[in-house]
Amino acid sequence: MAVYLDCNSTTPVEPSVASLVLRFLEKDFGNAASPIHDYGLFARSAVEHARMLVGKVVGARPDEVLFTSGATESNNMAILGLADAGIKSRRRHVITTAIEHKAVLEPFEELARRGFDVDILTVGPDGRFKVEDLAEALRPDTLLVSTMQANNETGVVHPLAETAKLLTGHDAWWHVDAAQGYGKDLEQLRDPRIDMIAVSGHKIYGPKGVGALILRKRDGLRPPLQPLAFGGGQEQGLRPGTLPVPLIAGFGEAAKLALRDNETRRTTCLAFRRLVHEALDRLGAGHNGDETWTMPHCVNVSLDGIPSDLAINALKGVIALSSTSACTSHTRTPSHVLTAMGRTPTQVETSLRLSWCHMTPEVDWDEVVGILRKIRSRR
Amino acid sequence: MSVFDELEEVTNQQYLHGDLPKWLADPLLAVARSPELCQEKEYLVEILLAQVREYDVYAEAGCCKWAYDHEDIARTLRWLEEQ
Repeated sequence: MAVYLDCNSTTPVEPSVASLVLRFLEKDFGNAASPIHDYGLFARSAVEHARMLVGKVVGARPDEVLFTSGATESNNMAILGLADAGIKSRRRHVITTAIEHKAVLEPFEELARRGFDVDILTVGPDGRFKVEDLAEALRPDTLLVSTMQANNETGVVHPLAETAKLLTGHDAWWHVDAAQGYGKDLEQLRDPRIDMIAVSGHKIYGPKGVGALILRKRDGLRPPLQPLAFGGGQEQGLRPGTLPVPLIAGFGEAAKLALRDNETRRTTCLAFRRLVHEALDRLGAGHNGDETWTMPHCVNVSLDGIPSDLAINALKGVIALSSTSACTSHTRTPSHVLTAMGRTPTQVETSLRLSWCHMTPEVDWDEVVGILRKIRSRR
Repeated sequence: MSVFDELEEVTNQQYLHGDLPKWLADPLLAVARSPELCQEKEYLVEILLAQVREYDVYAEAGCCKWAYDHEDIARTLRWLEEQ
């Protein structure tokens, strides 16, 4: 089987995580909302334990962690959940960037339809927005600033520390889509100025179908979100529905491991990245994202003369990879991220994203390079 | 530091400097000092550790439960014994 190099779309599940999920599927299957018997009480204990573990990664208290189905839902809750507060306070200005995940951009489109004034910051060739552009865009009536931590297509990390400094003293709520960086880059997300953090379990070797929205309290109060769904009152009234205890328990275990093994995982990923660079540079790869600002587990390159669809197909017996985010690759539209970075249509069409993890086995890079060279020679 | 070492440390702290009663501290220390008896139960020990760390006599007093009381700890100890 091909070596899996598409970890940015989803990661393999850690064995101990899978074991815990199975336990709560089979043996300890109680409902956390029925703490009137041991089955329900144990389920509730598992949920609260996971809440503590998930929050601990970013220095948040358990009562600041709301479980969701994943970062997409969390992003929607954070962005659209603030709409009423903005309308009531007459703050209808919101800011985001051009390279956000569609789970952010599309809720912003919805805000625009609801009458909000949306500013979208551009990015440079390095894939990062400029903090000075954000400073210029900020207004007294700015309700929300939304910036991702690390881009899902390029792995480029954004200037969160500088953004936090800029936003200090401003009342705008700050939301960070951290689906790609949570549990990996630990320091950035611990800044107390970040009000809302959206994360997914399946990016940190946890199960799919579970994530969290972390709502930091400001002066003892959480951001004034309104629920997007109703019926049940779970998760402090913001996310009703029976909690998926097996997934949540697994997510908590994954968070614990992400924190415990962070340094060793990073070291392993950096070593793998060196091999990736060595191989791709033999093909004269153009890098979409400065290595200085890129997460250690992801590379996005453009390979002149090698269309990405041909490359992916030719390599499928050797490595499994993608050309754009999994959320958009099936639509065959050009990457909005690479386009926003100023890449040419040709560079976009020949782009490949390789993303790996600490569990990725060795790759026969000579074979990879050989296959890609054959494609180029035929054109 | 293993979860058992942490449990011993936190239990002593809560007993000596907090409000943890001796009747709970004793069985907690017994668990902490007998890791061989809790093989395959580390998940429950982790939960127990978190509960002891956040032990609060008035845990149930507020509208949200973000601390743990003696009943929580006793129940988890019972689960450990039963499994």
